[in-house]
Amino acid sequence: MRNTWAVCKREFASYFVTPVGYVVVGIFAAISGLAFCASFMFYADVSLNPSMYAYSSVPDFEETLLGPFLTFCGTLVVFIGPLVTMRLLAEERNRGTMELLLTHPLRDREIIFGKYLASLGMLFVMMLVVGVDLVVMSWYVQVEPAVLVFGLITVFLMGAAFFSLGLFVSSVTSNQVTAGTLTFGVWFILYIIGTFAENLAESNPAPEAWGEGVRKMAGFFYGLFRGFLQQLPIDSHARDMAQGIVQPEDIVYYVLFGAFFLFLTFRSLESRKWRA
Amino acid sequence: MIEVKGLTKYYGQLAAIEDVSFSVSKGQILGFLGPNGAGKTTTMRILTGFSPPTRGTAVVAGYDIAANPVEVKRRVGYLPESVPLYGEMLVSKFLAYVAAVKGVGRGRRRSEVGRVIERCGLADVERRVCSNLSKGYRQRVGLAQALIGDPPVLILDEPTVGLDPRQIIEIRQVIKELGEDHTVLLSTHILPEVAMVCERVLIINQGHVVAEDTMANLARGTARSLEEVFIEAVAKDAATDNVKENDTPAAAGGAL
Repeated sequence: MRNTWAVCKREFASYFVTPVGYVVVGIFAAISGLAFCASFMFYADVSLNPSMYAYSSVPDFEETLLGPFLTFCGTLVVFIGPLVTMRLLAEERNRGTMELLLTHPLRDREIIFGKYLASLGMLFVMMLVVGVDLVVMSWYVQVEPAVLVFGLITVFLMGAAFFSLGLFVSSVTSNQVTAGTLTFGVWFILYIIGTFAENLAESNPAPEAWGEGVRKMAGFFYGLFRGFLQQLPIDSHARDMAQGIVQPEDIVYYVLFGAFFLFLTFRSLESRKWRA
Repeated sequence: MIEVKGLTKYYGQLAAIEDVSFSVSKGQILGFLGPNGAGKTTTMRILTGFSPPTRGTAVVAGYDIAANPVEVKRRVGYLPESVPLYGEMLVSKFLAYVAAVKGVGRGRRRSEVGRVIERCGLADVERRVCSNLSKGYRQRVGLAQALIGDPPVLILDEPTVGLDPRQIIEIRQVIKELGEDHTVLLSTHILPEVAMVCERVLIINQGHVVAEDTMANLARGTARSLEEVFIEAVAKDAATDNVKENDTPAAAGGAL
């Protein structure tokens, strides 16, 4: 535990003794701030004149502003995430400091969790930025606390799940640009697949000519496949949760997503023992 | 203190070291001598747990490197050849970090860092970032991080490379002093260095041990210099390799 903390502290500090930390947090603050202002102003407009925007009454604040804003913040975290995670292990390899890391009395789990925690620290800093926006907002509007808490948890879970993917990608390459590009690429491909799956027909596509049994079976697998594809984009479980509608499966989804890639990171770091 | 048996490491088809065995007893300084690419770094990397051997075992400070890697690492201070450092960190911060991961208690960390800073003459650069250090100071920071926690075994990969003559003398002096109460394995391809610092020498060529003896025995009687011993040992090794190759050309061809 102490070693994990030591690794984490060094990693986190290095974000802020190099420009990386400031750039990441700065860009995040700028974009999320702009988005917040824009949506806030838009909501103000709508609530003054609901009929002009085809609403019969003043629209629900959580549903129209807060939820979408927090989901957007989550997406933004995912967008900027590769910049945070790409250096975690790739840089150690590139600079040769991996040789120090692996010859100091550290266990793999101390290295991996230390690094992962440091990236979560960056995520926490980003959440603080969102927190400032929300505090400002709470001066003007009464917000349901559950929505706020679960909204922030959603953003955090989304980021944490995605950062584990970034950590894994960073563990398989020694080049930061490769790691960053690959992480972003994987996210984007998952996103595209998910969007594509949204457009797949819900009904069974198997032709009538097939026998009843075969058709049923094809339909079953088609449904499974379609459902699986739809779950791939990392924000697919965020939308409801960001509005305070929390289902256990959404949380489980992110926890499993993160655990899966942490597991792969362990295997990847361990592979030095049998490779080469 | 270090017991190596039949260590072999292949990189793909290429044998970096083959069947290397030796032992270093407590409080000894062993010079690990060989031409470039002989397998010195590979052996040291295996002993420090950085890369696993293909075959063979090694016991360092009473622990098997495969079964108890963390226990071995606790007892070994390692200076890698390329001296990797976290460039953005202050020297003092870097050493404090190393003290933390080596399990030096919070209360003793400051005094431990102070001790190695003094020992390695780093007081002037304590507040500088690692990436701005000259080669000589980098080397000393590398040595300092190896000394943190006062491990009983020190494995130093070419500790004097790239230093100016005065620094070389200083570092050699430090190593000699360390040898009084530590077990030191030191690699180099500078022959006089071995003669000056080490009690025993192990000469390695193309992955095999070709000579191993105390300094006194190697030079005894014949008044040969270490240089002659080294060249002879390496030449003999090359000759036996040639014979082997003539016997089984297909088998030996790959290794050369």
